[in-house]
Amino acid sequence: MRTFLRHNSLSIVFLGLFLAALMLQAFAGLADFNEDQDRHASPHMTLGRYLVSSEFGTAVLENWQSEYLQFTLFILLTVWFVQRGSPESKPVGKAGRESDSDQQVGPHATPRSPRWAKADGLRRRIYENSLLLVMGTIWLGSWFAQSIAGASQYNAERLDHSQAPVSWLDYLGRPDFWEKTLQNWQSEFLAVGSMAILAVYLRQRGSPESKPVGAPHEATGTES
Amino acid sequence: MAVRSALPTLAVLAAVLSVGCSASDRGPDVAAVADRFQSALESRDGEAACAQLSEQTASELEQQEQRPCEEAIVALELPAGGEVASTSVYVTSASAVVDEGGTLFLDEAADGWEISAAGCRPTAPDLPYDCELED
Repeated sequence: MRTFLRHNSLSIVFLGLFLAALMLQAFAGLADFNEDQDRHASPHMTLGRYLVSSEFGTAVLENWQSEYLQFTLFILLTVWFVQRGSPESKPVGKAGRESDSDQQVGPHATPRSPRWAKADGLRRRIYENSLLLVMGTIWLGSWFAQSIAGASQYNAERLDHSQAPVSWLDYLGRPDFWEKTLQNWQSEFLAVGSMAILAVYLRQRGSPESKPVGAPHEATGTES
Repeated sequence: MAVRSALPTLAVLAAVLSVGCSASDRGPDVAAVADRFQSALESRDGEAACAQLSEQTASELEQQEQRPCEEAIVALELPAGGEVASTSVYVTSASAVVDEGGTLFLDEAADGWEISAAGCRPTAPDLPYDCELED
Protein backbone atom coordinates (compact mmCIF):
# COMPACT_ATOMS: atom_id res chain seq x y z
CA MET A 1 0.00 0.00 0.00
CA ARG A 2 2.78 2.41 0.97
CA THR A 3 4.63 1.52 -2.21
CA PHE A 4 1.48 2.19 -4.23
CA LEU A 5 1.08 5.61 -2.59
CA ARG A 6 4.75 6.45 -3.14
CA HIS A 7 4.61 5.43 -6.79
CA ASN A 8 1.39 7.32 -7.52
CA SER A 9 1.63 10.31 -5.20
CA LEU A 10 1.33 12.93 -7.97
CA SER A 11 -1.95 11.51 -9.38
CA ILE A 12 -3.36 10.91 -5.88
CA VAL A 13 -2.54 14.43 -4.65
CA PHE A 14 -4.12 16.00 -7.74
CA LEU A 15 -7.20 13.78 -7.43
CA GLY A 16 -7.56 14.88 -3.80
CA LEU A 17 -7.09 18.55 -4.68
CA PHE A 18 -9.63 18.19 -7.51
CA LEU A 19 -12.29 16.61 -5.28
CA ALA A 20 -11.74 19.15 -2.49
CA ALA A 21 -11.93 22.10 -4.90
CA LEU A 22 -15.02 20.68 -6.64
CA MET A 23 -16.77 20.21 -3.30
CA LEU A 24 -15.91 23.74 -2.14
CA GLN A 25 -17.03 25.12 -5.52
CA ALA A 26 -20.38 23.35 -5.07
CA PHE A 27 -20.92 24.93 -1.63
CA ALA A 28 -19.78 28.39 -2.77
CA GLY A 29 -21.86 28.16 -5.97
CA LEU A 30 -24.96 27.10 -4.03
CA ALA A 31 -24.53 29.97 -1.54
CA ASP A 32 -24.13 32.42 -4.44
CA PHE A 33 -27.19 31.02 -6.22
CA ASN A 34 -29.28 31.26 -3.05
CA GLU A 35 -28.14 34.86 -2.45
CA ASP A 36 -29.58 35.62 -5.88
CA GLN A 37 -32.77 33.73 -4.95
CA ASP A 38 -33.07 35.97 -1.86
CA ARG A 39 -32.82 39.07 -4.06
CA HIS A 40 -35.81 37.78 -6.05
CA ALA A 41 -37.72 36.61 -2.95
CA SER A 42 -37.49 33.05 -4.29
CA PRO A 43 -36.97 29.84 -2.28
CA HIS A 44 -33.50 28.42 -1.66
CA MET A 45 -32.26 25.47 -3.70
CA THR A 46 -31.01 22.34 -1.93
CA LEU A 47 -27.45 21.07 -2.46
CA GLY A 48 -28.71 17.89 -4.17
CA ARG A 49 -30.76 19.86 -6.66
CA TYR A 50 -27.94 22.37 -7.24
CA LEU A 51 -25.47 19.59 -8.08
CA VAL A 52 -27.64 18.48 -11.05
CA SER A 53 -28.59 22.03 -12.07
CA SER A 54 -27.34 23.73 -15.21
CA GLU A 55 -25.94 26.52 -12.99
CA PHE A 56 -23.40 24.13 -11.45
CA GLY A 57 -22.98 22.18 -14.71
CA THR A 58 -21.99 25.28 -16.69
CA ALA A 59 -19.61 26.53 -14.01
CA VAL A 60 -17.80 23.17 -13.90
CA LEU A 61 -17.83 22.24 -17.57
CA GLU A 62 -16.73 25.55 -19.08
CA ASN A 63 -13.49 25.15 -17.13
CA TRP A 64 -13.08 21.44 -17.86
CA GLN A 65 -13.42 21.82 -21.59
CA SER A 66 -10.77 24.53 -21.71
CA GLU A 67 -8.33 22.51 -19.58
CA TYR A 68 -8.70 19.48 -21.83
CA LEU A 69 -8.40 21.67 -24.92
CA GLN A 70 -5.18 23.06 -23.46
CA PHE A 71 -3.67 19.59 -23.05
CA THR A 72 -5.02 18.38 -26.41
CA LEU A 73 -3.47 21.33 -28.22
CA PHE A 74 -0.25 21.09 -26.24
CA ILE A 75 0.13 17.40 -27.14
CA LEU A 76 -0.66 18.10 -30.81
CA LEU A 77 1.26 21.33 -31.41
CA THR A 78 4.45 20.18 -29.68
CA VAL A 79 4.75 17.49 -32.38
CA TRP A 80 5.53 20.16 -34.98
CA PHE A 81 6.21 23.42 -33.13
CA VAL A 82 9.32 23.96 -31.00
CA GLN A 83 10.61 26.55 -28.56
CA ARG A 84 14.38 26.72 -28.43
CA GLY A 85 15.56 26.43 -24.83
CA SER A 86 12.23 25.20 -23.42
CA PRO A 87 12.00 21.94 -21.45
CA GLU A 88 8.44 21.62 -22.81
CA SER A 89 9.77 21.46 -26.38
CA LYS A 90 11.64 18.90 -28.45
CA PRO A 91 15.05 19.94 -29.83
CA VAL A 92 14.67 22.17 -32.90
CA GLY A 93 15.73 19.49 -35.43
CA LYS A 94 13.25 16.93 -34.07
CA ALA A 95 10.04 18.67 -35.22
CA GLY A 96 7.53 16.24 -36.76
CA ARG A 97 6.25 12.73 -36.03
CA GLU A 98 9.80 11.29 -35.91
CA SER A 99 11.03 7.96 -37.28
CA ASP A 100 9.78 4.50 -36.20
CA SER A 101 13.20 3.95 -34.72
CA ASP A 102 13.01 7.10 -32.58
CA GLN A 103 9.51 6.13 -31.47
CA GLN A 104 10.35 2.47 -30.83
CA VAL A 105 7.43 1.08 -32.81
CA GLY A 106 6.95 -1.95 -35.09
CA PRO A 107 10.25 -3.73 -35.69
CA HIS A 108 12.01 -1.11 -33.53
CA ALA A 109 9.91 -1.91 -30.46
CA THR A 110 11.76 -3.23 -27.42
CA PRO A 111 10.70 -6.35 -25.48
CA ARG A 112 9.19 -4.06 -22.82
CA SER A 113 7.27 -1.87 -25.31
CA PRO A 114 3.45 -1.90 -25.01
CA ARG A 115 1.82 -4.65 -27.13
CA TRP A 116 0.05 -2.20 -29.45
CA ALA A 117 3.38 -0.40 -30.14
CA LYS A 118 4.72 -3.67 -31.55
CA ALA A 119 1.60 -4.23 -33.68
CA ASP A 120 1.12 -3.05 -37.27
CA GLY A 121 -1.76 -1.28 -39.01
CA LEU A 122 -4.76 0.24 -37.29
CA ARG A 123 -3.90 -0.91 -33.77
CA ARG A 124 -0.55 0.84 -33.85
CA ARG A 125 -2.10 3.89 -35.54
CA ILE A 126 -4.62 4.18 -32.69
CA TYR A 127 -2.02 3.62 -29.98
CA GLU A 128 0.39 6.15 -31.52
CA ASN A 129 -2.29 8.81 -31.09
CA SER A 130 -4.15 7.44 -28.06
CA LEU A 131 -3.25 10.28 -25.67
CA LEU A 132 -4.44 12.88 -28.15
CA LEU A 133 -7.59 10.87 -28.98
CA VAL A 134 -8.66 10.45 -25.34
CA MET A 135 -7.85 14.03 -24.28
CA GLY A 136 -9.52 15.39 -27.43
CA THR A 137 -12.63 13.26 -26.84
CA ILE A 138 -12.93 14.46 -23.24
CA TRP A 139 -12.51 18.06 -24.48
CA LEU A 140 -15.26 17.71 -27.09
CA GLY A 141 -17.50 15.80 -24.65
CA SER A 142 -17.19 18.43 -21.93
CA TRP A 143 -17.59 21.28 -24.43
CA PHE A 144 -20.77 19.63 -25.73
CA ALA A 145 -22.05 19.18 -22.15
CA GLN A 146 -21.17 22.83 -21.42
CA SER A 147 -23.31 23.88 -24.38
CA ILE A 148 -26.31 21.90 -23.08
CA ALA A 149 -25.99 23.19 -19.51
CA GLY A 150 -25.24 26.71 -20.79
CA ALA A 151 -28.33 26.74 -23.02
CA SER A 152 -30.47 25.71 -20.04
CA GLN A 153 -29.01 28.43 -17.79
CA TYR A 154 -29.33 31.00 -20.60
CA ASN A 155 -32.97 30.09 -21.19
CA ALA A 156 -33.75 30.34 -17.47
CA GLU A 157 -32.48 33.94 -17.56
CA ARG A 158 -34.53 34.66 -20.69
CA LEU A 159 -37.71 33.33 -19.07
CA ASP A 160 -36.98 35.48 -16.01
CA HIS A 161 -37.05 38.49 -18.33
CA SER A 162 -40.22 37.40 -20.17
CA GLN A 163 -38.32 36.36 -23.29
CA ALA A 164 -38.85 33.22 -25.37
CA PRO A 165 -36.30 30.41 -24.84
CA VAL A 166 -33.91 29.57 -27.68
CA SER A 167 -33.01 26.17 -29.14
CA TRP A 168 -29.65 24.51 -28.45
CA LEU A 169 -28.54 25.17 -32.04
CA ASP A 170 -29.51 28.83 -31.73
CA TYR A 171 -27.60 29.03 -28.43
CA LEU A 172 -24.41 27.83 -30.16
CA GLY A 173 -24.37 31.08 -32.15
CA ARG A 174 -25.09 33.30 -29.13
CA PRO A 175 -22.48 35.56 -27.48
CA ASP A 176 -23.16 33.92 -24.09
CA PHE A 177 -21.82 30.55 -25.32
CA TRP A 178 -18.74 32.05 -26.96
CA GLU A 179 -17.95 34.41 -24.09
CA LYS A 180 -18.07 31.49 -21.61
CA THR A 181 -15.89 29.44 -23.98
CA LEU A 182 -13.31 32.02 -25.00
CA GLN A 183 -12.76 33.55 -21.56
CA ASN A 184 -11.42 30.14 -20.53
CA TRP A 185 -9.50 29.46 -23.74
CA GLN A 186 -7.53 32.69 -23.63
CA SER A 187 -6.34 32.03 -20.08
CA GLU A 188 -5.22 28.50 -20.96
CA PHE A 189 -3.32 29.66 -24.04
CA LEU A 190 -1.63 32.40 -22.00
CA ALA A 191 -0.62 29.96 -19.25
CA VAL A 192 0.82 27.37 -21.66
CA GLY A 193 2.59 29.98 -23.79
CA SER A 194 4.13 31.71 -20.80
CA MET A 195 5.22 28.35 -19.31
CA ALA A 196 6.96 27.44 -22.59
CA ILE A 197 8.91 30.70 -22.73
CA LEU A 198 9.54 31.34 -18.99
CA ALA A 199 11.00 27.86 -18.56
CA VAL A 200 13.75 28.84 -21.03
CA TYR A 201 15.21 31.31 -18.53
CA LEU A 202 13.77 30.35 -15.13
CA ARG A 203 14.25 27.16 -13.11
CA GLN A 204 12.59 25.17 -10.34
CA ARG A 205 15.09 22.93 -8.69
CA GLY A 206 13.79 19.35 -8.55
CA SER A 207 10.84 19.79 -10.92
CA PRO A 208 10.73 17.79 -14.18
CA GLU A 209 8.79 20.73 -15.64
CA SER A 210 12.03 22.71 -15.39
CA LYS A 211 15.48 22.23 -16.81
CA PRO A 212 18.19 21.45 -14.25
CA VAL A 213 19.17 24.70 -12.53
CA GLY A 214 22.60 24.74 -14.15
CA ALA A 215 21.42 23.84 -17.66
CA PRO A 216 22.17 26.54 -20.24
CA HIS A 217 19.28 28.70 -21.51
CA GLU A 218 19.67 27.36 -25.06
CA ALA A 219 19.37 23.69 -24.00
CA THR A 220 16.05 22.46 -25.38
CA GLY A 221 13.95 19.51 -24.10
CA THR A 222 16.31 18.82 -21.22
CA GLU A 223 14.79 17.50 -18.02
CA SER A 224 16.48 16.75 -14.72
CA MET B 1 1.42 17.10 -15.70
CA ALA B 2 -1.30 15.22 -13.85
CA VAL B 3 -3.22 12.39 -15.45
CA ARG B 4 -6.90 13.11 -15.05
CA SER B 5 -9.60 10.49 -14.94
CA ALA B 6 -12.49 10.47 -17.40
CA LEU B 7 -14.87 9.35 -14.66
CA PRO B 8 -15.68 12.83 -13.30
CA THR B 9 -16.41 13.95 -16.86
CA LEU B 10 -18.86 11.11 -17.31
CA ALA B 11 -20.47 11.91 -13.95
CA VAL B 12 -21.11 15.51 -14.95
CA LEU B 13 -22.33 14.46 -18.40
CA ALA B 14 -24.82 12.20 -16.64
CA ALA B 15 -25.82 15.09 -14.38
CA VAL B 16 -26.35 17.35 -17.40
CA LEU B 17 -28.54 14.73 -19.04
CA SER B 18 -30.50 14.33 -15.83
CA VAL B 19 -31.10 18.10 -15.86
CA GLY B 20 -32.76 17.68 -19.24
CA CYS B 21 -34.86 14.81 -17.93
CA SER B 22 -35.91 16.62 -14.76
CA ALA B 23 -36.82 19.68 -16.84
CA SER B 24 -39.17 17.67 -19.04
CA ASP B 25 -40.60 15.90 -15.95
CA ARG B 26 -41.65 19.27 -14.54
CA GLY B 27 -43.52 20.31 -17.71
CA PRO B 28 -46.86 18.74 -16.63
CA ASP B 29 -46.77 20.63 -13.30
CA VAL B 30 -46.33 23.90 -15.19
CA ALA B 31 -49.14 22.98 -17.61
CA ALA B 32 -51.46 22.13 -14.68
CA VAL B 33 -50.95 25.59 -13.10
CA ALA B 34 -51.49 27.26 -16.49
CA ASP B 35 -54.65 25.20 -17.04
CA ARG B 36 -56.06 26.12 -13.62
CA PHE B 37 -55.34 29.79 -14.27
CA GLN B 38 -56.93 29.83 -17.74
CA SER B 39 -59.99 27.88 -16.51
CA ALA B 40 -60.43 30.24 -13.58
CA LEU B 41 -60.34 33.25 -15.91
CA GLU B 42 -62.84 31.59 -18.24
CA SER B 43 -65.28 31.01 -15.36
CA ARG B 44 -64.46 34.50 -13.99
CA ASP B 45 -63.33 32.96 -10.68
CA GLY B 46 -60.97 35.70 -9.47
CA GLU B 47 -60.03 33.91 -6.27
CA ALA B 48 -58.92 30.75 -8.09
CA ALA B 49 -57.01 32.81 -10.67
CA CYS B 50 -55.20 34.84 -7.99
CA ALA B 51 -54.25 31.60 -6.19
CA GLN B 52 -52.05 30.76 -9.19
CA LEU B 53 -50.21 34.11 -9.13
CA SER B 54 -46.97 34.80 -7.30
CA GLU B 55 -47.35 36.99 -4.22
CA GLN B 56 -45.35 39.74 -5.92
CA THR B 57 -47.50 39.69 -9.08
CA ALA B 58 -50.76 39.71 -7.11
CA SER B 59 -49.51 42.58 -4.95
CA GLU B 60 -48.38 44.54 -8.03
CA LEU B 61 -51.83 44.07 -9.58
CA GLU B 62 -53.61 45.24 -6.42
CA GLN B 63 -51.45 48.34 -6.19
CA GLN B 64 -51.89 49.15 -9.87
CA GLU B 65 -55.67 48.65 -9.92
CA GLN B 66 -56.33 49.86 -6.34
CA ARG B 67 -58.63 46.94 -5.55
CA PRO B 68 -58.40 43.32 -4.34
CA CYS B 69 -56.65 40.86 -6.65
CA GLU B 70 -59.84 38.77 -7.05
CA GLU B 71 -61.67 41.73 -8.58
CA ALA B 72 -58.76 43.24 -10.48
CA ILE B 73 -57.77 40.04 -12.28
CA VAL B 74 -61.28 39.54 -13.68
CA ALA B 75 -61.50 43.19 -14.73
CA LEU B 76 -58.23 42.92 -16.66
CA GLU B 77 -60.02 40.77 -19.30
CA LEU B 78 -56.95 38.60 -19.88
CA PRO B 79 -57.24 35.94 -22.62
CA ALA B 80 -59.18 33.10 -20.95
CA GLY B 81 -59.61 29.36 -21.54
CA GLY B 82 -57.70 27.56 -24.27
CA GLU B 83 -55.38 24.58 -24.15
CA VAL B 84 -51.73 24.64 -23.07
CA ALA B 85 -49.88 24.02 -26.35
CA SER B 86 -46.35 23.77 -24.97
CA THR B 87 -44.24 24.36 -21.87
CA SER B 88 -40.57 25.21 -21.34
CA VAL B 89 -38.84 24.61 -18.00
CA TYR B 90 -35.31 25.79 -17.15
CA VAL B 91 -33.84 25.74 -13.63
CA THR B 92 -36.49 27.62 -11.57
CA SER B 93 -38.22 29.41 -14.47
CA ALA B 94 -40.87 28.26 -16.94
CA SER B 95 -43.26 29.41 -19.64
CA ALA B 96 -46.51 27.99 -20.96
CA VAL B 97 -47.91 28.85 -24.39
CA VAL B 98 -51.71 28.79 -24.38
CA ASP B 99 -53.66 28.40 -27.63
CA GLU B 100 -55.16 31.79 -28.41
CA GLY B 101 -54.31 32.87 -24.86
CA GLY B 102 -50.82 34.23 -25.18
CA THR B 103 -47.93 33.07 -23.03
CA LEU B 104 -47.63 32.74 -19.26
CA PHE B 105 -44.29 33.01 -17.41
CA LEU B 106 -43.85 31.13 -14.14
CA ASP B 107 -41.37 30.91 -11.26
CA GLU B 108 -40.82 27.94 -8.99
CA ALA B 109 -41.81 28.70 -5.40
CA ALA B 110 -41.45 26.57 -2.27
CA ASP B 111 -44.83 24.87 -2.87
CA GLY B 112 -44.89 24.69 -6.67
CA TRP B 113 -45.12 26.91 -9.73
CA GLU B 114 -46.56 30.42 -9.58
CA ILE B 115 -47.44 32.74 -12.44
CA SER B 116 -45.29 35.87 -12.62
CA ALA B 117 -46.60 37.23 -15.95
CA ALA B 118 -49.78 36.57 -17.98
CA GLY B 119 -51.35 37.61 -21.26
CA CYS B 120 -47.91 37.96 -22.84
CA ARG B 121 -47.33 38.31 -26.59
CA PRO B 122 -44.08 38.51 -28.53
CA THR B 123 -43.03 41.96 -29.75
CA ALA B 124 -39.82 41.46 -31.73
CA PRO B 125 -37.22 38.68 -31.78
CA ASP B 126 -35.05 38.71 -28.63
CA LEU B 127 -37.08 41.44 -26.94
CA PRO B 128 -39.19 40.75 -23.83
CA TYR B 129 -42.83 39.85 -24.44
CA ASP B 130 -45.44 42.52 -23.90
CA CYS B 131 -47.48 41.33 -20.89
CA GLU B 132 -50.84 42.59 -19.70
CA LEU B 133 -49.99 41.43 -16.15
CA GLU B 134 -46.49 41.10 -14.69
CA ASP B 135 -44.58 41.74 -11.48
